[in-house]
Amino acid sequence: MEPVIQLEHLCKSYGGVPALQDLSLTVQRGEIFGLLGPNGAGKSTTVECALGTRQPDKGQAHILGLSPITQRKVLFQQVGVQFQEAYYPEKIRVGELCEMTSSLYKTAAPTAPLLAQFGLKGKEKQMVGDLSGGQKQALFIVLALLPMPSVVFLDELTTGLDTRARRAVWRHLAKLKEQGLTIFLTSHFMDEVEALCDRICVLQKGRPVFTGTVQQALTQTHCAHMEDAYLCLAGETQEGQDESI
Amino acid sequence: MKAFKTLLKTEIKLSLRDMNMPIFAIIMPFVVTVLIGLIYGDKAAYPGAPYTFLQQSFGALVTIAICAGGVMGLPLVVAGYRQKKILKRFRTTPTGPVLLLGVQLVLYALYAIASLVLTFLAAWLLFGFHFWGSPLLFTGTYLLVMLSMFSIGLLVGGVARDEKIASILASVLYFPMLVFSGATLPYEVMPPVLQRFADVLPLTQGIKLLKATTLGLPLGSVWFPLVLLAGVAVVCTVLAVRFFRWE
Repeated sequence: MEPVIQLEHLCKSYGGVPALQDLSLTVQRGEIFGLLGPNGAGKSTTVECALGTRQPDKGQAHILGLSPITQRKVLFQQVGVQFQEAYYPEKIRVGELCEMTSSLYKTAAPTAPLLAQFGLKGKEKQMVGDLSGGQKQALFIVLALLPMPSVVFLDELTTGLDTRARRAVWRHLAKLKEQGLTIFLTSHFMDEVEALCDRICVLQKGRPVFTGTVQQALTQTHCAHMEDAYLCLAGETQEGQDESI
Repeated sequence: MKAFKTLLKTEIKLSLRDMNMPIFAIIMPFVVTVLIGLIYGDKAAYPGAPYTFLQQSFGALVTIAICAGGVMGLPLVVAGYRQKKILKRFRTTPTGPVLLLGVQLVLYALYAIASLVLTFLAAWLLFGFHFWGSPLLFTGTYLLVMLSMFSIGLLVGGVARDEKIASILASVLYFPMLVFSGATLPYEVMPPVLQRFADVLPLTQGIKLLKATTLGLPLGSVWFPLVLLAGVAVVCTVLAVRFFRWE
């Protein structure tokens, strides 16, 4: 077992309000790890602390044994990132954004086959701004995979994708996992989590309330489906929802 | 190097698609040159002057593109990238502020040089402009003025939180320099108090040097302008890289 992502005692608060409280977790090589929780539970803060785009108040993050802050340039040769929102310059074409991204790395995968695998075949000339929400999402997964990374972070991986595109993304990620890619993802879709994740961590108000395999989550909560198990673990039980209605 | 070339190529395409810079850095100085040529023809700069008004203005005209690109365009683009979180994406790639700012620097240098060539051709072919000075001294001075002005833009773009703040800072720097440095109002007609204020603006010193090297006039005491321009360039560039903000 080789730890690839190591988060140790991460704490972060915004204006005195804690967003993340003492989160520690380790992801091994070749694992698909899912970080779950309702909006505002601290998923994006965790991803950002892991990537060094936010400095945690306490604790530290290492990826491939490197610090994302002090060893940024070495580390990010090997790490692909897809943020929850798409960030791109105005009036840029799909092909240009891919070419620009590829040029930043020592080695990069050929663009055209990757685009084709994610349903963007022949879209190189199209403006990124004119793509549909799902196509943009797919494009940013492509951008994360272009550097042929050994670790990839995917924040809200398939939000906005249609069913067929989601299945295609799952298949592709499963294949990359077999080749040794380590995947850290956040998701709101429990069918996706069940299909992909080796292990999960459930956050509730910035605290980890469960870490383990999908099977362990089902056993612990006496649920048959991951969605029920998740709602139970995240403290959003069906009963609670009904009462509030 | 591959990253630099690809980013520069992409930025050139994006900038041309946007049309702001072609208008303000290329077309505007060209139009001003043509207007000055039409209005003043080959009139002397002042009664009895050995050179024409257009010859006197040439040094100032070629700084319009430097300012439009370096002091306005550059900081707005960089701050806009920060606001749109494009820099945040870059932060999770193996690239750094030196590469990103370097690409912008070269992009706006290309605009400035294109404008310099066009301004010269317009003045020469349309209005019989003669360049009397030393081309070597002029080129050296021109590059120094450019570096100095661009470094101010780099600093604003490197640290301004968003496009709005960058736009305010750039305007505060850009317009006084444009008005008081001699780029628009002739420095010679200003009252002494205003001249003394204008003298501390690096662009004023830059235009004085450019004027002198265009006309082949004695450079007089060049140490103050040289030190001022080089000092601004070094200090602002170092600060821009040191205090560069990704978000």
